[in-house]
Amino acid sequence: MRNFFVLIRKYNFFIVFLLLEGVSGLLLVRNSTYQRAAVVGTTNEFVGQMYVAYSNVTDYLILGETNRILAAENARLRKADSVSFYDPSFEVMKVNDSTGLQQYEYISARVINNSVSKVNNYITLDKGSMQGIQPEMAVMGSNGVVGIVKDVSEHFSTVLSLLHSSTKISSKIKKNNYFGSTVWDGDAPQFAKLLDIPSHAQVAVGDTIVTSSYSDYFPRDIMVGIVSQIGTSGESFKEIKVRLATDFQKLSYVYVVRNMMKTERDSLEAKTQVVQ
Amino acid sequence: MIGEILVQLIRFILLVFVQVLVLNQIEISGPVNGFINPYLYVLFLLMLPVNINKILLLFICFITGLTIDIFSNTAGMHASACLVLGFFRPGFLHLIAPREGYETTLKLNMSGMGSSTFLIYASTLIFIHHLVLFLVEAFSFLNFFELLLRVITCSISTLLLTVLSQFLTQRNREVAK
Repeated sequence: MRNFFVLIRKYNFFIVFLLLEGVSGLLLVRNSTYQRAAVVGTTNEFVGQMYVAYSNVTDYLILGETNRILAAENARLRKADSVSFYDPSFEVMKVNDSTGLQQYEYISARVINNSVSKVNNYITLDKGSMQGIQPEMAVMGSNGVVGIVKDVSEHFSTVLSLLHSSTKISSKIKKNNYFGSTVWDGDAPQFAKLLDIPSHAQVAVGDTIVTSSYSDYFPRDIMVGIVSQIGTSGESFKEIKVRLATDFQKLSYVYVVRNMMKTERDSLEAKTQVVQ
Repeated sequence: MIGEILVQLIRFILLVFVQVLVLNQIEISGPVNGFINPYLYVLFLLMLPVNINKILLLFICFITGLTIDIFSNTAGMHASACLVLGFFRPGFLHLIAPREGYETTLKLNMSGMGSSTFLIYASTLIFIHHLVLFLVEAFSFLNFFELLLRVITCSISTLLLTVLSQFLTQRNREVAK
């Protein structure tokens, strides 16, 4: 027995070494099985906290990459978001005034496509025949005229912008009621021309141009623009440059004007022309 | 004495942090991945006092290895490798000892031992540590050549960092003077 203790004393270094190796070997075997020692590993509370603090710092180093991934994910989610789907809701502004008969209805719509840089510019709206929009309806913005509806599908409609070579809007000088047609000359999207104003008409720079009551499409006195330059074309007519009231480059929401008496007026005028 | 313990403790914390937060994060893509993984924390074990109690040395080795294990989810791996290092350290120090033996105040670093002796001391123990570490990690000798290559390249990278850290700390000490 005494010899045994002597042995232990003599080889205590080796024995402790073997003992500790045994412990680490045990840990190793236990760790390779699925149940891990909760204390020895990153599940440990302190170790976890330290890694959280660490990643708080290192996250800054990969911000660029993270942004790229998030942007891609956003694009994917946006595709699934409600704004990517067609919005069937719409509002019809209607004034119930008992003193007069309602002639115009206004349907709000959102501009989802627009151009100003081409010779013939079109606007696409997110409302269509389902909301009561029909071809040849007038379209106006908060500031003034925008165009005329050309084609209509169930949920969308295309609009001949005022910035279109074949758009012609019957307009008048507000102060003296001389009337002419507003057309676009294909130049800057801020300006249009008012044609057919007789040369004897009194016009000054700054005069207001509004839609005339001769218009098939627009209600009367809708703002078109302001006279910015006066010239002459030929002997008897003035050519007036008009600064448009609507900023076509910032168009986002418009109203589609429904003339409830258009059919009545059209058929009456047609009848009269046939008689002539 | 207390100052010495404090110095060792600070070195321990510093090296563990560097190991866990910097060196363990090294991931080099391509064929060299896995061949350049320095384990600088063994420097702490190398630089423990020369006359340290052998049993205490074993326990310190075990705890150091276990600390690294905790942070890298490799329970027991570093602990056993460090234990082997601790087992061979006293014997190897005795082997390379000068004829008159070590002074008890000798610092086990480059300036204390002389660069050639320190390099032999460090490279041998680092190699032993890495060999055990990778053997335990692999648990088999299936691809022994690749394993040996990994041991050698990783040992070299650890040794390079060790020497580098020696230069850095020496410089600081001279500035402090």
